[in-house]
Amino acid sequence: MGKIVKPICRIGSGAGFAGDRIDPAVALAASGEVDAIALECLAERTLVPAIKARLESPEAGADPRLRRRLRPLLPVAVQTKCKIISNLGAANPIAAGGAISALGKELNIKGLRVAAIEGDDVTSQSQVIDWKRPLKGRLLGAHAYLGCSQMAEALEEGADVVVTGRVADSALFAAPVRVRMQNDQQAFAGALTVGHLLECGGQLTGGNFDPVGGPLPGNPLTASDFAALGYPIAHVYADGTADIMTLTGAAAVIDSMTCALQLLYEVHDPTYYATPDLVLDFSAVVFEQIGRNCVRMQGAQTSGPPPTIKVAGFVEQPGYIADCEIGFVGTGALFRAQLAADALRLRLSAWPDDDIAIDLVGVNSILRAGASPEGNHTELRVHVSARCPDMEAAQQIEDEVYALTLSGPAGGCSVRSERRNRIEVIDGYISADLIRTSTHWSSS
Amino acid sequence: MRVGDIAAGRAGDKGDVLDLTLVARDELAYNMLLGALTADSVQRMLNQVVPGPVMRYELPRLQALKFVMPEALQGGVYASLRPGLHWQKAAIWLLLDLRIDPIDLALSWQSNLSQGGALS
Repeated sequence: MGKIVKPICRIGSGAGFAGDRIDPAVALAASGEVDAIALECLAERTLVPAIKARLESPEAGADPRLRRRLRPLLPVAVQTKCKIISNLGAANPIAAGGAISALGKELNIKGLRVAAIEGDDVTSQSQVIDWKRPLKGRLLGAHAYLGCSQMAEALEEGADVVVTGRVADSALFAAPVRVRMQNDQQAFAGALTVGHLLECGGQLTGGNFDPVGGPLPGNPLTASDFAALGYPIAHVYADGTADIMTLTGAAAVIDSMTCALQLLYEVHDPTYYATPDLVLDFSAVVFEQIGRNCVRMQGAQTSGPPPTIKVAGFVEQPGYIADCEIGFVGTGALFRAQLAADALRLRLSAWPDDDIAIDLVGVNSILRAGASPEGNHTELRVHVSARCPDMEAAQQIEDEVYALTLSGPAGGCSVRSERRNRIEVIDGYISADLIRTSTHWSSS
Repeated sequence: MRVGDIAAGRAGDKGDVLDLTLVARDELAYNMLLGALTADSVQRMLNQVVPGPVMRYELPRLQALKFVMPEALQGGVYASLRPGLHWQKAAIWLLLDLRIDPIDLALSWQSNLSQGGALS
């Protein structure tokens, strides 16, 4: 390790989900301390409305937040020569590429080169996808997780912005590193592991983190820290070792604990984490604190490329989930709320137990039997969620909750109600050679 | 003693799969968790809340344990009958609030489960 002097790439994490904060990416770009910023903006949850939008209009389907996110970021990124890589293309990367070039023109940026990568949409090949279980309902779309190669090529050819649809989150971050790396599989495994660490933004730097025994008065982050959390940066070295940090002085907790939690986040077998580029083995990864909020990661390994590429299929089933609540307050709130819940179940006796849940928000609605009912409840909400075959049935659920305000226990109040489509996400696998990607260039 | 007194944790999900990560504060804590939180004992606890088997992965270098439940979230995020979306982010408290007896490493839940659940 002593011989390592300079990182080959300094990569920043600008966003960890579609609705993530806008300002952290701008702060990273403005600092001049990163060579590239990747913004992960596409979850299963956000791809579905994008697919639906594109089904209605062929021009639609890119992330609706694209302009709001890139308007403040593009000018500073251009100034500091910081590359931007993002899956803001959602279900329509080409439209997103066009929108980014148009935004560049509006902002008077000359010669911004935008590469849009498509090919993740494999809906037309659903017959040859090996689905984990049978598709029941209407297949809205099937999207394969693309790897680094197309993004890395576009960067090599001079792209300032690379926009994609579904790619492996880790690949978004590893692509700019891959460009500067020798052809070394173990080092590339390190870059992909860095990508996996960075893909959730603030979750690596102290967000969604209670220290051991916490939260205590000595909790490391204050409210104003959480409101201005620094997003992660990785300095990646030629051998795949990386130093995880944030901007100097930014609020954060980066230690072996926050790094280990993020390394293992949403990983199943830690010795076999399949990305489209390589299967990663995290069992020998170690984190070493080398400074305040600075941790060195090394030891990522790989057994080589995966046999197949993962696909996410989105199936829509008829009907809705109705999700409604009614509040109760004051002395006896728990007693009255429980009475209301029991009365509601009697009113909705037509729903089989498997298709309805009635519980108390503030007591047991989230962890159910795992919840602790201790404490005085000055406010509670009765919650009902039910699978409904159609809109009329969903309206009935909502009406029965409202009817408790007149005909239920005293003081039922503050009713809220929502309906969700019934979408199921089904995993599948496809052979890599069936995926055809292409890159579409535009410029401002 | 709570599991959360000697470890930090985080819950994640992918499709049907719920995954729970615990990172112990030191080697002693890791060895205690290793003894107390067997796949069987954790499954007995968690099956009161989510269905299906539990697989445990050990990561001694990171002093971490992973518990993966491939059938816990049938149908994924959208199919849940919990209020709102993403209840599973809170699922780590099912482990953090388990109580370990440091002497015989027996587990118990903090709540009144033995009396038949939180409400009855």
